[in-house]
Amino acid sequence: MTGTMGKNATVKNIVFTIIVVVLLIYTIFPLYWLFLASLKTRVDLFTIPPKFSFEPTLEHFKKIFIYTTLETGEQQQTRYLFWLLNSVLTAGIGTLLAVTLGTMAGYINSRMEYRGKKDFMFFVLSTRMLPPVAVIVPLYIVFAKLHLADTRLGMILLYTMIGLGLATWIMKGFFDNIPKEVEEAAFVNGYTRFQVFIKVLVPMVKGGIAATAGFCFIFAWNEFTFASIIATRYAMTLPPRIVAFMGTSGFEWGVVAASGFILIIPIFVLFIFIRKYILMGMTFGVLGRK
Amino acid sequence: MSDYDQKKYERNEKLIKLLFLWPSLAILLFLIAYPFVMLIYYSFFNFSFLRQANTKFIGLTNYLLILTDTYTWERFIFTFKYVGLSVSIQFILGILIAWLLQRNFRGKDAVFTVVLMPMMFCPIVVGLLWRYMFNTEWGIINYFLHNLLGFARVEWLGMEQNSLWATIIANTWMWTPFMVLLASAAFSSVPKYLYEAASVDRASGWFKFTNITLPLSAPILVLALIFRLMDEMKQFDLIYTLTGGGPGDATQTVSFTLYKTAFQYFYTGEGSAWAFILLIIIIGLSSILIRLLNYLSER
Repeated sequence: MTGTMGKNATVKNIVFTIIVVVLLIYTIFPLYWLFLASLKTRVDLFTIPPKFSFEPTLEHFKKIFIYTTLETGEQQQTRYLFWLLNSVLTAGIGTLLAVTLGTMAGYINSRMEYRGKKDFMFFVLSTRMLPPVAVIVPLYIVFAKLHLADTRLGMILLYTMIGLGLATWIMKGFFDNIPKEVEEAAFVNGYTRFQVFIKVLVPMVKGGIAATAGFCFIFAWNEFTFASIIATRYAMTLPPRIVAFMGTSGFEWGVVAASGFILIIPIFVLFIFIRKYILMGMTFGVLGRK
Repeated sequence: MSDYDQKKYERNEKLIKLLFLWPSLAILLFLIAYPFVMLIYYSFFNFSFLRQANTKFIGLTNYLLILTDTYTWERFIFTFKYVGLSVSIQFILGILIAWLLQRNFRGKDAVFTVVLMPMMFCPIVVGLLWRYMFNTEWGIINYFLHNLLGFARVEWLGMEQNSLWATIIANTWMWTPFMVLLASAAFSSVPKYLYEAASVDRASGWFKFTNITLPLSAPILVLALIFRLMDEMKQFDLIYTLTGGGPGDATQTVSFTLYKTAFQYFYTGEGSAWAFILLIIIIGLSSILIRLLNYLSER
């Protein structure tokens, strides 16, 4: 009797392990395949059967940064570093602003009463619901009039807006979790409300602020729709750039794969740090608050 | 507290509210509210960003043009098919995977980290990644299907019906993790003692799943479903690099059509009308979400 039970459990364990392995392969394989594509020579890219082992080449990565002019064979730097800088600056500063403003607004909405509070929170939430393609039509016109189109400042504003709703909702949740007594004790000690906020409360939600920043950065870093319309040249970021790589050179798959891979490396790194908070980040702080 | 102190305190409170809320509000008014109003305004004009000289008020003509065109309905039907099928598959797969990964095992945390990752990637990259694998001649997927398993070559991105499934497959790969995440959270919120009680009564695993797990995690599962529906309606970048809307216009979602109308043909007015229609649909969906969010956060 116990013998068959043990056997059953082993079979179950084996089946379970197989399922987990299949799941992992299903998840990882496409990324692995993209990575291999970025290292294959043009010949190796299109072979049948597809090659799993080959002589790796860095030519595509090199091509992203340096291009050789056809006439003279002269080597020149591409503007890739400039686009990369655009991406880092717009997503980075946008995140910084969104998290700062979101922390401030989250605090007020957690602790104080004012008229139209529900409307404000709903308004903030609408940044999550509005499809970018819908707002971008009039936004494009306004930006063109105000000379914000194709500027870093314009993109920073947009990325602040994208992160703001998330930051406000999440930070409100974090402040809600802090007992009122903490503040009251500080008030008794003669702190003003502003001092309480900066010196007592913000340090208590540091972890939450960092996680929120991680999410805001990822969403801005991945953003394509606004960038493809607004940032066409001087403020161009990496996602629309990849699409341009696909279009102009008649699908140079090696270069496309390499640039795609560069784009997701920061996500890998950030994801490890915000993994604990992912439930909170993906549900606007409704679930998974810590 | 003296009268003077009280006044000073109140002024201080007011000031902090103003200083802390207005910057956010200003950004939202400028980037959300103002465009929204302008969008409705433009939708009544035959406005084009490139040809601004001949702009005329044309009333509801843009809306009538859109709603009476069979092309529009094709786009809506595709969008609903795409969204409906994607979300259903993600929902079922997500619940299944979350249910399987419920038990404790070595490396659970690492497995979860890997499984959840795809949803964080840039949709542009996910689109091109699958485009690369879906290639008819040298794509790895057809290599398995054709060269190894002996099926006929599938023209994934070249035929209407297949391209629908190609977009759904890529979309499912990217977004099932979201369902796994929320379903796992839902399942782990079910109190353990209920299972123990059921075990005493010798209930089967399936019985426990359908009679305890599912009913108790229903609110969060519904929340997940609505989040997905809302996001899928907006989605456009993944399809943009995967199929470019093709073959023909077969995989153009409503969002995609709007993008093309406004920024490829520069029919800004008509694009605005498209945007307004899309917004109505999404607002309808999300007002349900808001109610649910409020209900859940007050529990």
